[in-house]
Amino acid sequence: MLRIIATRVVLGILTLLAVSILIFAATEILPGDVASAVLGQGATPETLRVFRKELGLDRPAHVRYAEWFTGAIQGDFGKALTNKRDILTSVTPRLKNTLFLAGYAALIAVPLSVALGILAAINEGKLADRLANIISLATISVPEFFIAYLLILFLAVKLRYFPSLSTVFADMPFAKKLHVTALPAVTLTMLVAAHMLRMTRSSVLSIMSQPYIEMAFLKGLSRSRVVLTHALPNAAAPIITVIALNLAYLIVGVVVIEVVFVYPGIGQFMVDGVSKRDLPVVQACGLIFASAFITLNTVADVLSILVNPRLRHPI
Amino acid sequence: MAKKTLGRRKFLALSATVGASALAACAAPAAPAAVEAPAAVPATDVPAAPAPTAVIEVATVAPVASGKPKGGTLRIGMEGGSATDSLDPRTYSDSVMIAAALTVMNGLVEFDAAGNPTGELLESWEAKAGAAEWIFNVRQGITFSNGKTLDADDIIYSIGIHRGESKSPAKGILEPITEIKKLGDSQISIKLASGNADLPVLLGDYHLMVVPKDFTDWEKPIGTGAYTLESFEPGVRLVFKNRGGYWKKDRGNFDMVEIRNIQDPAARTAALQSGEVDAVNRLDPRTVDALMKDPNLNIVRTKGTGNRFCFVSRVTEAPYDNKDLRLALKWGIDREQIIKQVYNGYAVPGNDHTLDALNPYYNTKMAQRVYDPDKAAFHFKKSGITSAFELQTSEGAWGSAVDCAQIYQESLKKAGITMGVNKVSADGYWDNVWLKVPFCAVYWGRRLSADQVFRQIYGSASDWNDSNWKVPAFDDLVMNAAVELDNAKRTEMYFTCQEMIAEDGGMICFAITDYLDGYSKKVMGTEPHARYDLNDDRISEKGWFA
Repeated sequence: MLRIIATRVVLGILTLLAVSILIFAATEILPGDVASAVLGQGATPETLRVFRKELGLDRPAHVRYAEWFTGAIQGDFGKALTNKRDILTSVTPRLKNTLFLAGYAALIAVPLSVALGILAAINEGKLADRLANIISLATISVPEFFIAYLLILFLAVKLRYFPSLSTVFADMPFAKKLHVTALPAVTLTMLVAAHMLRMTRSSVLSIMSQPYIEMAFLKGLSRSRVVLTHALPNAAAPIITVIALNLAYLIVGVVVIEVVFVYPGIGQFMVDGVSKRDLPVVQACGLIFASAFITLNTVADVLSILVNPRLRHPI
Repeated sequence: MAKKTLGRRKFLALSATVGASALAACAAPAAPAAVEAPAAVPATDVPAAPAPTAVIEVATVAPVASGKPKGGTLRIGMEGGSATDSLDPRTYSDSVMIAAALTVMNGLVEFDAAGNPTGELLESWEAKAGAAEWIFNVRQGITFSNGKTLDADDIIYSIGIHRGESKSPAKGILEPITEIKKLGDSQISIKLASGNADLPVLLGDYHLMVVPKDFTDWEKPIGTGAYTLESFEPGVRLVFKNRGGYWKKDRGNFDMVEIRNIQDPAARTAALQSGEVDAVNRLDPRTVDALMKDPNLNIVRTKGTGNRFCFVSRVTEAPYDNKDLRLALKWGIDREQIIKQVYNGYAVPGNDHTLDALNPYYNTKMAQRVYDPDKAAFHFKKSGITSAFELQTSEGAWGSAVDCAQIYQESLKKAGITMGVNKVSADGYWDNVWLKVPFCAVYWGRRLSADQVFRQIYGSASDWNDSNWKVPAFDDLVMNAAVELDNAKRTEMYFTCQEMIAEDGGMICFAITDYLDGYSKKVMGTEPHARYDLNDDRISEKGWFA
């Protein structure tokens, strides 16, 4: 089993390396160059020439890749082209904010959806099952910004229970942070809960058709005991994978939520970088996103192996 | 257009009272980041003095007798910022940094509400005959936030960082300057390659902020403004603290100022309504009508000083080299319908040049071109064009450029003219489409002076002459107007310039949008300004709490 886990980890690292090359290549082929994007519609050929030289854009791509990657693995992403700030210093608080919001949403969403999924599986076809399905499907069918605007309109503008701006600052007390970010956390919960709920329900139910479950029923066990102790451990692997996917989504895919709630996360940071063609910023964000994705998936793989009784006790 | 008969001041006042007209309107909320120097109006009211030296009167900031209440924290929610922002004046391109700079620093020249230049750190000036040599007096008794006293060296340094090997967007504006010389601690002289009566206006460009000589640490800016910078998270927030004893009487009234970046118009609106900010810029024209009904809010509208939206054809390329086709394209656009449908009424029709009605040299005698399918059909028939032609448009030009193009296509169809509309990629639009294809969408920001508009957008020597319309007679006229110190004659020349462009040029300028600011009722000092929204982006120094 250790060998399987080690293989997963090595594969993860190789994927990251491949992704780093892809990121670098992709930013190279973006239309328009950084100098004209930074200087805008008002750039003259003269200022463009000066700026390009200043940025070192006249040097070959592979040289720049080698420099960039060796720097990046040591935590040095260089300086932003646009405002000359150190990228690591700028991106760290943003990344912390993103992880904070993702963690907040996950803490609500994961227990809620897994519990409801199991509940739905136990009560298959009954009222509780149907309600869980209908509500979760409804929330996932509505665009995220729509839910966000509804929450802002009613809970922030009309009732004023929560602020409409969810911007957090470094000096904010923890309790206040929780209050300020409650609306985006709830929106994100609605966004990811349905997927996890339905996957929990269906993977538990698919195990339920196995002969050994029938055996358990024939022993006279209650339905909830069968589900929890017999079916769930074997259904855990796909559930963990789906949770990992959704956690990754909470980190890399919430730009819209950040914009609507004015939340200073890494998504908006990357979008600003892209629109100004600040390549080092885009590359750094890309690499961070890729690392988050790959790490979470590797962890999910390893956990699936660990919880699977057959893999845990190889014959 | 009733507005053309109004004086500028009256016009501004009228525009401020936003009430009844329930036109809401949409200036594409996704305001492009590259808003290049909108700019203000020239207008050195130069007396037609026969004397060799024309002295220009400069109004200093008049102290108002009654003191304004001090205190409070002004929270401004603004679009027009980004995580890539910096306080280095050579990087400014949009509203947040302009407002931030004016909170900490001062410029060389300020503009009054009508757009005329008044002294800021350059207190007064005079031009030698021919307007090629100027003397500027540096305001005395001003201290920077680090305690240093302002002198001529600081001014020369602050202009100098935009010249030479610099990537500053203001470089082009300063190109005509051949020499800046210190005449004493309180006086400098500036020599130009050729005369330009608008020099003080050009020195009012928002990039030209004053810092102490040899200053380079833009993370901690030192300025002569009313406030000092407390903290700066690019794309998130700027916090400023009043440093006390501001040299402009009755200004700089807040204890603290906070500028929050709020890119999303709906989020800005919600923040204003829920009282989390006291002022916002660029309200969404499609929802502003509803906001006007909110008793706690004060909506300030500045008519027709925003971006100028145009379709531009290159007159050197077929079939646009045919003047009759160009006229057909100008008569065949339904400006009113575009303004109504796309901008919800919050825009004024353009008259096929990019000067706006708040510019003192705006041609008030020229009739506003309106939609006339018959005239369009007449000119189209006369042109004899039978080949197909198409307009290239994109979200990358501005948010609603595709909608505008489609309405245009329909209105041409009613005149029997078939124009193709090709929606192209937003990415790299300014690199690959604009200035390259024969007919495309473009917007222009406000320019500081009429001279700048004519030289940059229509001058033969300009790299940005996007219609490629090069007329020596026009160039001569602009050149002569620049050194004409008799304002009446100058006005006449500029009127002719506008007629030439509108009649013969390749640009169809169909709309100039309004600025829409929102304030909570307690914020005072919110008058519209001829240059920028949020009272010339100076609400932090001009405003106060009731």
